[in-house]
Amino acid sequence: MNDEDMIRVRLAVHRTNTNLSNGDHGMPRYYTPGEEVCSQPDFMRGHGTYMDDNDTLRASVAGVLEKVNKLISVKPLKARYQGEIGDVIVGRITELQQKRWKVDTNSKLDSALLLSSVNLPGGELRRRSAEDEQTMRRYLQEGDLICAEVQNVFADGSLSLHTRVLKYGKLSQGILLKVPPSLIKRKKVHFHNLLIGANLILGNNGYVWIGASIHNTDRTEGGFAQDLSRIPQQDREMCARLRNCILALARSNILLTDTSVIYAYDESTKYSANELLQPEAALDVALLTQQRLGERID
Amino acid sequence: MANTLLSLAEKTFIVHGVDDNYRTDGRNRSEYRPMEVETKVLPHTSGSARLRLANTDILVGVKAEVDTPYPDNPNEGKLEFFVDCSANATPAFEGKGGDNLGTEISNTLTLAYQSSHVLDLTTLCILPQQKCWKLYVDVLILQCDGNLFDAVALAVKAALYSAQIPKVTTATLDGGKADIQLSDDPFDCVKLDVGSFPVLVTLCKNFTFIQIGENCVVDPTSEEEECSAASIVVAVMPNGRITSVVKTGYGSLQPSTLVKTLELAKDIGIKLNAGIMNALKEEDELGSQREIFGFLK
Amino acid sequence: MSGQDLVSDQGLRVDGRRANELRQIRVRMGVFGQSDGSAYLEQGNTKVLAAVYGPHQPRGGGRGGNRSGTGIINCQYSMAVFSFSAGERKKRPRGDRKTQETSLQLRRAIEAIVQVELYPRSQIDVFVEVLQSDGSDYCAAVNAATLALIDAGIPIKDYSVGCTATIASMGASEEVDSKDETGSGTGIVDANHMEECTGATTLTVVALPGAPGSNYESDTDNSGLVVVAQGTGARLHLSRLEGLRQRALQGCRDTRVILDQAVRFHLTTHDPHFI
Repeated sequence: MNDEDMIRVRLAVHRTNTNLSNGDHGMPRYYTPGEEVCSQPDFMRGHGTYMDDNDTLRASVAGVLEKVNKLISVKPLKARYQGEIGDVIVGRITELQQKRWKVDTNSKLDSALLLSSVNLPGGELRRRSAEDEQTMRRYLQEGDLICAEVQNVFADGSLSLHTRVLKYGKLSQGILLKVPPSLIKRKKVHFHNLLIGANLILGNNGYVWIGASIHNTDRTEGGFAQDLSRIPQQDREMCARLRNCILALARSNILLTDTSVIYAYDESTKYSANELLQPEAALDVALLTQQRLGERID
Repeated sequence: MANTLLSLAEKTFIVHGVDDNYRTDGRNRSEYRPMEVETKVLPHTSGSARLRLANTDILVGVKAEVDTPYPDNPNEGKLEFFVDCSANATPAFEGKGGDNLGTEISNTLTLAYQSSHVLDLTTLCILPQQKCWKLYVDVLILQCDGNLFDAVALAVKAALYSAQIPKVTTATLDGGKADIQLSDDPFDCVKLDVGSFPVLVTLCKNFTFIQIGENCVVDPTSEEEECSAASIVVAVMPNGRITSVVKTGYGSLQPSTLVKTLELAKDIGIKLNAGIMNALKEEDELGSQREIFGFLK
Repeated sequence: MSGQDLVSDQGLRVDGRRANELRQIRVRMGVFGQSDGSAYLEQGNTKVLAAVYGPHQPRGGGRGGNRSGTGIINCQYSMAVFSFSAGERKKRPRGDRKTQETSLQLRRAIEAIVQVELYPRSQIDVFVEVLQSDGSDYCAAVNAATLALIDAGIPIKDYSVGCTATIASMGASEEVDSKDETGSGTGIVDANHMEECTGATTLTVVALPGAPGSNYESDTDNSGLVVVAQGTGARLHLSRLEGLRQRALQGCRDTRVILDQAVRFHLTTHDPHFI
């Protein structure tokens, strides 16, 4: 039995610290729950704040202050996803109800995907018949993954999704990762066809999809066909490496964008994909990525 | 264990990966995820250990109490396992939700430690027929990320290794009643010989949809567990002997497959035992000045 | 040890603390990756783990039942079987009357701070596991739960802080002059298991102490908002209650300062935007 075969168990004293922040940058002003935020009376209160009995504006979460014109809000480090119209999300179907699907999107309530908001086979403008209702399960079942856009936000905060644009729809073979939503910036582009060949979807809700099927999925069927053929070994390796890189970045609290992911992928080539599971290797990749990102900004 | 929903496409991807010997996280079929162990995290118990296997987090406490032996086995001590699935792991474990899983794991542990080759219970006897040691091994499952059996067994072995049982200075029979004196010195203790304690190796087989023959996977993640119809949990001692075999799941196996699986389990069990013992000895060498982190770091 | 000897003549307790001194509090937030929020808290030798899930869609049975417009808070207080420092191990971690009652009390403490009207039809789960019990278990649980809620990013009005104040039983049932000499209350604060057991009466208080410099402190009667109070032990004369209450409230305020520092430390080391 040679060394590579041995199973290594670590000790806690040798634990690596994944925290990469350094105190050099000016630390912003943090607010903690119950702390007074602003004493001026003419500010509107946003998320993360509340008015107490004496009409003072106080913070209700621990985080950084954000002032946009007259709106004051406190943004917490980590929170469940708060949807906004136009966001791209990745979600999982949890339930089928009358004329709609319920989707788990890591928010405080399940989101709704109405039957009228999806493209059904047969073209864009087809009327929804009673038959469609019965056969909803044929299109999307419990457990299926979809990529959709937020169409509307209801009064109670739950979201209404749609997949009417061709690039959205059911997701095929690949890997789903869950990271804190605060690590995903709101950008114009969320679909990334990385130069290396995989496609990456960074959902605003913290669900990241690494797609393995490289064939252009046949979208004429309304995006419900699935490619279940065998993925070649090379693509599989790439997906595994991407997965481990993204998890390494998330563990060290680095924002996920296509740039940071590509840098991380580049820096990780000196390790094999399974070596990236080790905390030391993950930290190394995160550190190098952080340095490269820093160089880019300056 | 806790239901992870997966789509058909995801399951296909995972199963094909297993077949190609390249799993979703880049491991091959017989690789374990990174593990970390720390003993003596609970100073008020006789022995304790915390083991982390990727996100799976297990805490074990061992308590030694003086008890009366069973009438059938007057020269033997007792060993009892209790597994509690904490709601911290998933809301499904609230109240009695985790009881079934907990009972299953503690039964498997009891089976694994049953053999007298593993632990000779007569070493726990103080006064035959009167007094003996009873070891309570209490397992607390804090987070679930697949492969609970292996993680629990490793944590149990580490905790038993760190357990310190007070030395009995005098044990006499005083007019029919037993009189036992335990040493007052907290450092005057007896440690258990864990040299023959087994570890559990879980082998996931019979991935659905595809007949992939004899491919089985070691250290499954919770997604991989969801895709497999049958698993075999084997208790392997450091010398390669098998003390128990449990099959879980609704799938069925050919007898020849079972034999090959047991061979594989034996090889992996030996390596796993070596790995944990190396780590525990390394920790010992750090001495009593070692800083205990527990959950703080 | 008779009840009189909780505090020695020099003003020191068994472990060297003064009457109004808290035990060392150590905190780590974000211990677990799978729950939305988690915290680990040590108060002396009492060790507690809290995990928060939510707000999320109520799954299973809760679905049809929650018709009200506000969210539901679901708490569970559980003590690990090996948690007792002294004596035998606990037979069952939860399900007995004491832990169920404590779960209810925990829920009251949390409901006082979470703004449930922000989460119609949602559910927030708070699970606390006591790993080692050495006095003030419930208070440590409340403190850990508050930190876990902050870690999960769930808006709360203020820290929900728990503290105990214990008085010796000798003289506890006698009347005392209502003018207290020191003005800061009587009794010892944050007792450990041994101190709680030596025949004394313990007042447990959960309060919303308010941020330093807030209106609460400038109130002349120095109240702080008390949400849960319970007493255990032997008899206590009513005149002694005010002294104990003041002690406990001051303990809550001191604890809040320490918890706040821990939260700020966590923020500075884990903020993604400044890396």
